[in-house]
Amino acid sequence: MSLDALRDELTEVLRDGVITDPAHLRTYECDALTGYRVVPALVALPRDAAQVAAAVRACAAHGVPFVARGAGTGLSGGALPTADGIVISLQRLRRVVDVDPVDRRATVEPGVTNLDISLAAARYGLYYSPDPSSQQVCTIGGNVAENSGGAHCLKYGFTANHILAIDVVLPDGTPTRLGGDAPHQAGYDLLGAFVGTEGTLGIVTGVVVRLLHTPATVRTLVADFDSTKDAGDAVTAIIAAGILPAAIEMMDNLAIQAVNATVDAGFDPDTAALLIVELDGPADEVQARFTELLEKCTRATRVTVARDAAHRAQIWQGRKAAFAAVGRLSPNYFVQDGVVPRTRLGEALTRIAAMGDAAGIRVANVFHAGDGNLHPLVLYSEARGEHDRAEALSTAIAELCVELGGSLSGEHGIGTDKACSMPRMFSADDLATMQRLRAAFDPRGLCNPGKVFPTPRLCGERPGPYRPHPLEAAGVIERL
Amino acid sequence: MKPTSLAELRDAVRDSTGTLLVKGAGTASGWAGTPTGVDHELETTGLTGIVAYNPADMTVAVRAGTRFSKLQEELAANGQRIALDPARVQAGATVGGLIATADSGPLRHGYGGPRDLLIGVTMVLADGTVARSGGHVIKNVAGYDLGKLLCGSFGTLGVIAEAVLRVHPLPPATRTVSIPCDVTEAVELTGRILEARLEPAALEWYGGALHARYEGLESSVELRAAATPGGTVDHEASRVWDGEFVVRCGSRPSQLPAVAKHATAITSSVAVGVHTLAVDSATAVERLRDEFELTVCRRPAGSDLPAWGRPHPAVPLMRAVKQRFDPAGRLGPGRFAPWF
Repeated sequence: MSLDALRDELTEVLRDGVITDPAHLRTYECDALTGYRVVPALVALPRDAAQVAAAVRACAAHGVPFVARGAGTGLSGGALPTADGIVISLQRLRRVVDVDPVDRRATVEPGVTNLDISLAAARYGLYYSPDPSSQQVCTIGGNVAENSGGAHCLKYGFTANHILAIDVVLPDGTPTRLGGDAPHQAGYDLLGAFVGTEGTLGIVTGVVVRLLHTPATVRTLVADFDSTKDAGDAVTAIIAAGILPAAIEMMDNLAIQAVNATVDAGFDPDTAALLIVELDGPADEVQARFTELLEKCTRATRVTVARDAAHRAQIWQGRKAAFAAVGRLSPNYFVQDGVVPRTRLGEALTRIAAMGDAAGIRVANVFHAGDGNLHPLVLYSEARGEHDRAEALSTAIAELCVELGGSLSGEHGIGTDKACSMPRMFSADDLATMQRLRAAFDPRGLCNPGKVFPTPRLCGERPGPYRPHPLEAAGVIERL
Repeated sequence: MKPTSLAELRDAVRDSTGTLLVKGAGTASGWAGTPTGVDHELETTGLTGIVAYNPADMTVAVRAGTRFSKLQEELAANGQRIALDPARVQAGATVGGLIATADSGPLRHGYGGPRDLLIGVTMVLADGTVARSGGHVIKNVAGYDLGKLLCGSFGTLGVIAEAVLRVHPLPPATRTVSIPCDVTEAVELTGRILEARLEPAALEWYGGALHARYEGLESSVELRAAATPGGTVDHEASRVWDGEFVVRCGSRPSQLPAVAKHATAITSSVAVGVHTLAVDSATAVERLRDEFELTVCRRPAGSDLPAWGRPHPAVPLMRAVKQRFDPAGRLGPGRFAPWF
């Protein structure tokens, strides 16, 4: 491999779109999992799909690995550079190419933010449904790579359910298209297989997303409970009644305290746990279901119904502020992202609390209760030397989720962070079979190497603690 | 060969030589390319029954040879269902068969196809490797989603042994409003129904009418049905599967009229752009194929009409995937002819 030759070649094609200055390169040394940092050899900033293809072709010709990057909000180190490779940033590909209200779809470049798609569609009463908490800054290209979720995915599904087609530059530099005009494909569902592969199969240069009409009615409530168990039982009762809310979120007392120290969401500081439940759809359906929903909250000590859109926004602001707010309670913390079957939520929370007690570490819980997606926040102090214990606890919680029949990750991805835990969830044969797919796209392993799958080198290294992303610290982004 | 357990299935694949044709109930045996040079038929209909079902988790794990209708019966006993309704279900189609053919019916409008409901899969590769992906929870991004890869694979990448599916509650009430119209009007009406936020579970055009199906509480479906623009008629059943040539095809939703002009009968998920067409000649199929991506599902015995059209841009990738999963070409020979 020859990085010098690659740099010259890229400069010829991209002109000012090549970063080589060591100080500027450091901007790209990590994504939002800031504990892992690697400065890339150089960064390419292509302006269009053709330039992305040219950059990838050049990497392929010189045998240099490359990592695609959107806004860098990923929480699993999926966009962590390699020292001997380059970062290809998609930040300059941010055109909304077309919004088609007749066929209810938008064609966008990968650097467009999740929220900007909905803003562009709003004039037609349409929106793009998956709503990761970082949606103000995270890019649709990154959403495709991570199969991003969000609070409202319980009813409406994840990124994979909302993408009609993608333009992709394959790891040898060949542009191609996966998917098509309709969700009928002649042959293998390569589009479906691609979404969520964390940037390891190619670089997305164009995305066609499905748009939905905004719901006719939305109703939201906050229900307080004496214990997380009571709150969990209410979730089970709601689901068992055949109600499919747009979102069901749970926060425990520690998380509520953190939020109350930061924003006024009207949460009771003394409640042990609360649920935020939102229903949406046709007015009469929502109204009738809302009555049923209230009946399922009989063990609640207090139920607050959002008065209007502003009150609802205030409630959601409280929910979404939780991660950053935890910084008020603890100087350092890890954000975990595991999934358990819904019926094992209570058991999972009890065991997580016991594990925290045993380790002498506090754990706050904020999560998507409806689909069992936990986000335990492991609070610790670097200064008090608690890092190693906290890190071990965080990993143990993810692995507990697997043991309970769930998953290592619901929406943040495996990336660099959890690659070493993959053997807890999958056999060597499972992982080898997944690698067959990777090899079909990227036989030389140049595209985002070292992610998703365990490697001896990676698993000998130690992860670092969670630190707020600079944009998060500045209050520009929030996360679930 | 008709294995009755995962271990028997693995042994059957691993300990045999030559090519294998995976066969479920045979309800889609005419779909895609005609198998050629098959040494053994591997029947999955011995692999039956639910593996794990906890209704409160809203997921079910089931062996691939299970009749889909049988699975639905067991779920219905708990007030639940898989929100998937392809026509073949009545003919006895298996869970694995529906996945391998990526089949769906009118409910695709509201719930998507097998790809959107499949959350975990266990497969046996051509060399006997048993591999699993996904899991038993709805929200899961750990590892590659090989289940999606198997959707539309027609038994050429691996044998589907078990599937984990997302379950939905059975709606307490349903209403279908049938609005007589032509396909051009159907596209326009579809837009109006969606804009009115009536949230139909299905919007299907066939037999001279657009059929809007509402699901939900009794009072709600009644109101939504009443609010649907247009009148109501007694509709005739779809005749699409009576055709000599039957194809499934995808287009932009608004292109329905351009697709329908090739058909003698058509059933279309109007808002989604997935259509099933009866066509009267191979020439008509070829004309359609020049414009749209399609899968041939039925042709008369002896017809040499190729099942697939001009290779789309991702066909080289399909070949590469096939090469990695089944380098010796054991599984489903001929299914993707003339592409590979």
